[in-house]
Amino acid sequence: MTNRAVRLRSAVLGAVSILIFVVVMFPLYWMVVTSLKKEIEIFKIPPTLLPHVLNTDSYFAQLQHGDFNMFRSFKNSFVISTSAMLMALVLAIPASYGIARFTFKGKRAFILGFLVTQMLPVSVLLTPMFIIFKNVHLLNTQFSAILADVTIGIPFSVLIQIGYFASIPKELEDASRIDGCTRFSAFLRIFLPIASPGVIVCAVFSFLYGWGDLAYGMTFIQDQAMRPITAGIFNFMGQYGTKWSYLSAFAVVTIIPVIFIFVFMQKYIISGLTSGAVKG
Amino acid sequence: MVLLVGYPIVSNFILSIQDVTVTTLNALGKPLVGLRNFQTLLADGVLQRSIGNTFVFTVCCIVFQFAIGFALALFFNRGFPLAKPVRGLLMIPWMIPMTVTALMFKFMFSSNVGIINQFFQACGIIKSPVEWLLEPRSAMFSLIVANIWIGIPFNMILLSTGLTTIPNDVKEAAAMDGASKRQSFLFITVPMLKPVIESVLILGFIYTFKVFDLVFVMTNGGPVNSTHLLSTYSYKLSFVLFKYSQGAATANILFLILLAVSIFYLKFVYDDRRAE
Repeated sequence: MTNRAVRLRSAVLGAVSILIFVVVMFPLYWMVVTSLKKEIEIFKIPPTLLPHVLNTDSYFAQLQHGDFNMFRSFKNSFVISTSAMLMALVLAIPASYGIARFTFKGKRAFILGFLVTQMLPVSVLLTPMFIIFKNVHLLNTQFSAILADVTIGIPFSVLIQIGYFASIPKELEDASRIDGCTRFSAFLRIFLPIASPGVIVCAVFSFLYGWGDLAYGMTFIQDQAMRPITAGIFNFMGQYGTKWSYLSAFAVVTIIPVIFIFVFMQKYIISGLTSGAVKG
Repeated sequence: MVLLVGYPIVSNFILSIQDVTVTTLNALGKPLVGLRNFQTLLADGVLQRSIGNTFVFTVCCIVFQFAIGFALALFFNRGFPLAKPVRGLLMIPWMIPMTVTALMFKFMFSSNVGIINQFFQACGIIKSPVEWLLEPRSAMFSLIVANIWIGIPFNMILLSTGLTTIPNDVKEAAAMDGASKRQSFLFITVPMLKPVIESVLILGFIYTFKVFDLVFVMTNGGPVNSTHLLSTYSYKLSFVLFKYSQGAATANILFLILLAVSIFYLKFVYDDRRAE
């Protein structure tokens, strides 16, 4: 191909990709715009693609009446998903290290168990967990939602981490042992740093699972003041069903951390998605 | 882990053959009723409808997600300056909490302020606003559209990664031997992608089959129980009607179907990959 043909091809393909981007992203754009419109403008026909009057009330009104304070729900979600993430990491890293480095009876069954757990629907776990938490008096605490979210984070993390730990050559560990490392310090100084991309993948996914969860947070926590932001939105919808400017502001606040994670962690998300599904 | 996941599976099964409601939840001797919960559910009829819905929902979603995701993966693999960043950005729909996605689509499909009605009216396709979410068939349609939007990135990224593993010289050799682009796609790309395609389809099935949040927020099974999936119906039975045992029975049906698919996946796809 000549130089000009190459450039023309790039331009056409680029234009098509931007078109695809616009179509796919339209719902998100529409939500952000709606959150910045006044309620009257939302009902305007034909709809306006940009707000005529920039209106940030939908965000600030939330700060005043405490009933549906979205910033408080935001904090709740943050506490729940961060704790779930840390807990999943603390439990999953040693577990996957063990499974990857040692041979023991029932190892295969262990891995299969994690795989099946990963595929379990929330609905199957919901009722029994509800009854367990009720019996141990954990209902209506954030800890119950954290524990429930961890059950999604752990299997994923273990399966991802096994791959990372297994790919590290055994010679490396032997060498470190000869140099005087204990097994534990070899794990801390050699394995963990090498497997750190995997740790980040697990952290990102565990956080995202926790952040996106609605069923657990809504079912186990009755007190609105302690509920995560997803449950907050759902509640708000029930109460002010058609107050779309408030609702979309709520939704925009919910996706802010997701966008942050996306911007800084994109590489890890792709790797998590592909290794989780294809490599196992 | 065993406590939090293993125990629920067993207790869910036991629960489904007992008769537990809000009054008997704390009692010690719970009446054992065998399969009577299933019989009650079958007599009611919503269960059958939910099973049907779940399959229709899953199959429709997967067909379109896969087709669109595959098309996009092929498109973005052609190597041009914007390909990588735009493909990356398209992952966002997959990462957003489903509750937000559901809210967004509920707004767009709403009959009086929804952009979809306004768009169709402006184009002259429909005369008066359609009540998308208040009529069983269109409500189901709306749910499927929203879920396809979520699922496209997943299919696209996995297939894209798969495409990059196909060496170029195979295609070049085929082209040299006179294969057309279509032939090269059908006889080289697709067979070489087969393992990835299998994983994507089966995982897609598992993820779509257990969708809960989206339906719960968008229609909550309505109008009149017509868009319940097994997951939302089970939730309603347990936590709205407090018929824990019937809810557990419904969840078990969902679980058994998923378990069968998972075993199939592990046996035929996952193990093959391991062996390679």
